[in-house]
Amino acid sequence: MSTRTYRALQILILAALGAFLLQKIWSGTLYWYINQRFAFLTLLASLGLLAMAQISFNALRQKREAGLSPKQAPEHDHIHDHSHDQDHSHERLPIWGLVIVALPVLLGLIVPAKPLGSAAIANRGVNTSASLVASGSTKAATLDMSPEDRNVLDWVRAFNFSSDPQTFVGQSADVIGFVYHDKRLGETQFLAGRFTVNCCVADAMAIGVVTEWADSKTLADNSWVRVRGTIKVAEVDGKPIPLIVAESVEAVPPPELPYLFP
Amino acid sequence: MVVYTFAVDQFNRTILIFAVALGAILIALALGQISNSGGPLTPYVDQLSTFATVFLGIFIEAAPFLLLGTIASGIVEVFFNHDDVARLIPRDPVRGAVAGAMLGFFFPVCECGVVPLTRRLFKKGLPLSVGVAFLLAAPVFNPIAIASTIAAFGVGKMLFLRVGLTLLIAIVVGLIFAAQKHPEGMLRPNAWAPISGGAEIAADSTVAATPFVRPSLRAGLPQVVGVAVDEFFEMGRYLILGSLLAALMQTVVTQSSLLGLSAGPIISVLVLITLAVVLSICSTVDAFIALAFTGAFTTGSVVAFLVFGPMVDIKSTIMYLGVFKRRAVVYLILLPLIMTILAAVFINLNTTW
Repeated sequence: MSTRTYRALQILILAALGAFLLQKIWSGTLYWYINQRFAFLTLLASLGLLAMAQISFNALRQKREAGLSPKQAPEHDHIHDHSHDQDHSHERLPIWGLVIVALPVLLGLIVPAKPLGSAAIANRGVNTSASLVASGSTKAATLDMSPEDRNVLDWVRAFNFSSDPQTFVGQSADVIGFVYHDKRLGETQFLAGRFTVNCCVADAMAIGVVTEWADSKTLADNSWVRVRGTIKVAEVDGKPIPLIVAESVEAVPPPELPYLFP
Repeated sequence: MVVYTFAVDQFNRTILIFAVALGAILIALALGQISNSGGPLTPYVDQLSTFATVFLGIFIEAAPFLLLGTIASGIVEVFFNHDDVARLIPRDPVRGAVAGAMLGFFFPVCECGVVPLTRRLFKKGLPLSVGVAFLLAAPVFNPIAIASTIAAFGVGKMLFLRVGLTLLIAIVVGLIFAAQKHPEGMLRPNAWAPISGGAEIAADSTVAATPFVRPSLRAGLPQVVGVAVDEFFEMGRYLILGSLLAALMQTVVTQSSLLGLSAGPIISVLVLITLAVVLSICSTVDAFIALAFTGAFTTGSVVAFLVFGPMVDIKSTIMYLGVFKRRAVVYLILLPLIMTILAAVFINLNTTW
C-alpha cells in the first residue's frame, strides 16, 4: 500500500468515526452507551475527528498539487519523527491496523444496536437495595419528591435514605421498567427493572422494584411496562426494600432514555 | 504483459472490496432479522448486541480522552525541543521521579491519553524513571480525576488515601526503573529518543544533526494534527483491542459471582482489584463507580480499586505493550499490584472504618 493510499484511508476512517459519533448524538442513541453528562465530550470528539480529517485532507491535497510524493515533502518530516532511522512504524502498519481503528464503525453498522436489556442481567445480577451514589441534595430531593414522580431508582434510593421505610406504605407508585423474572421471586411477582449508568454501559448496574401482579407469568422478559399500584415494604437479607402491589400493568414502548443516570 | 497483470490485480481487488461490503450488508440484515424474530437464535444475537453495546460504550467514553492525549502529544512533538525536556526535569533520580509523578497536575489526561503523551515525552528524551512515574500517577493526580473523587467522596480520607498512595507507588516504581541503565532494554524502538544515554551514543549518531526550529503557531497547527493523527491510529488500535477484550470479559464473566466475595480483609481487595481491571473504567470517573461498593466492601479494597484501576486495566495494559517491551510491562503490572495489595490489606487490618 502506498503512503498516499494509507493517508487517504486514515482520513476516511477519521471522518467515518466523527460522522458515526455525530449520528449517535443526532439520533439520541448516544445515551444507549454513555451517561448524559459526557455527551458534550462526545460532541467535541466528533467535531475534533472531523476537523482532523479535514486538516489532513488539505495537507494531502497540497502535497499532490505540489507534485511531491509525501516522502519528499520536507515540511512533513515531523510525521516521520525526528528519529528517522528508528521510526518507520506507520510504514510498517499493515492494513489490519486501519481495520481495527475502523472497528467501532463496522461493528456499529453490522451488529443490531440495542440498549442493554434483561439479557444482560444474567451476567450482572440485579440490585434491589443498592447503596447508590448520592450527595446530600439528591437525598433530600428524593425524599421530598411526590410519590408518583419517583422512578425505579428514586424508590430504591428513598428506601435507602429513609430511616423508617414504613412511612412509604400505601403511597401510590407509577414507574416504567423492563420485565425481569428473577429466580428468587414468586410466581406472581416480577421485577420492574432499569439499568443505571454512571459513566458508560461498562459500569451499568441493574436495579429493580419487586412487583406483585397475578398475571406475572404472561409478561415476557425484557418487554417494557408501566406499573401503577401501591407501595408495601418487603425484606431481602434483612434490608427493607420497596414492593409495588400493582393495580395495572400495561405494555409501553421502550423509553427514549432506556437507562437512569444517577 | 505486466500491464495486463496489474489490471487483473486491480480488477480482483475491486471485486474483493465489493464482495466484502456485500457480505457485511447481508450479515447486518440477517442479524437484524434474527434479532427481531424472537426465534431460537435471538438470545445469541442479543448477547452479540450486548457485547457491541459495551464495547462501543467504553470506546465512546474513552475517545475524547484519547484525542486529548494525542493532541497533547502532537503539541509536545512540534513545540518542545529535546533540550527543553532536559532542562525542565531534575537530573537526580529521586527528584526526577517526584517531578514525574507531579507532572500530571499540568496534563489533565486519563489512562488512555497518558500513554501516547508519555511515549512522546520519552522520544523527547524524558528519562525512563520520570516517564514511568508520570505514567502511573497522572491518571489520578490530575485536576479532573481529583475533582471527580471529591464529588463522589468529599474531601476526606478516601481522597487523601487515593492520591497519597498513587503518588507513593508511582515514585517507588519510577525509582526502580531508574536503576535500569539502558532504557532501550525496556522501551520498544518506537519510543526511543533519538539520542539517549549520553555522549558516547550521541557521538556515533547521525540523527542528532536535525536542527530544531520552533514553528509559528499557525504553521504548527497542521503539524500538530499530523502527529496527532498518526498517534490516534497507533494508540487507537490498542485502546480498541482493549475495549473489545473488556467487553468480552463483561459478557462472559458473571459479576454477581465476583461481588458475592465481598468479605474478608484480603479477598475483598483481590476482588475489587480484579473488577477494576475487568471494568476498565476511565480514571476520571471511576470514583463514582467505587462509591457503589463502599457499603458492601472494606475500605482498603475500595482504595485498591481507586489506586490500581487507573494504573493497570485491560485497555491500558494493551496500550503499554505498544510502548514498552514485555518485560517492562510485567514490572509495570506486578510492582503496583504488590504495593497496592500490601497497602490495602494494611488499611483493612489497622482501621476500623
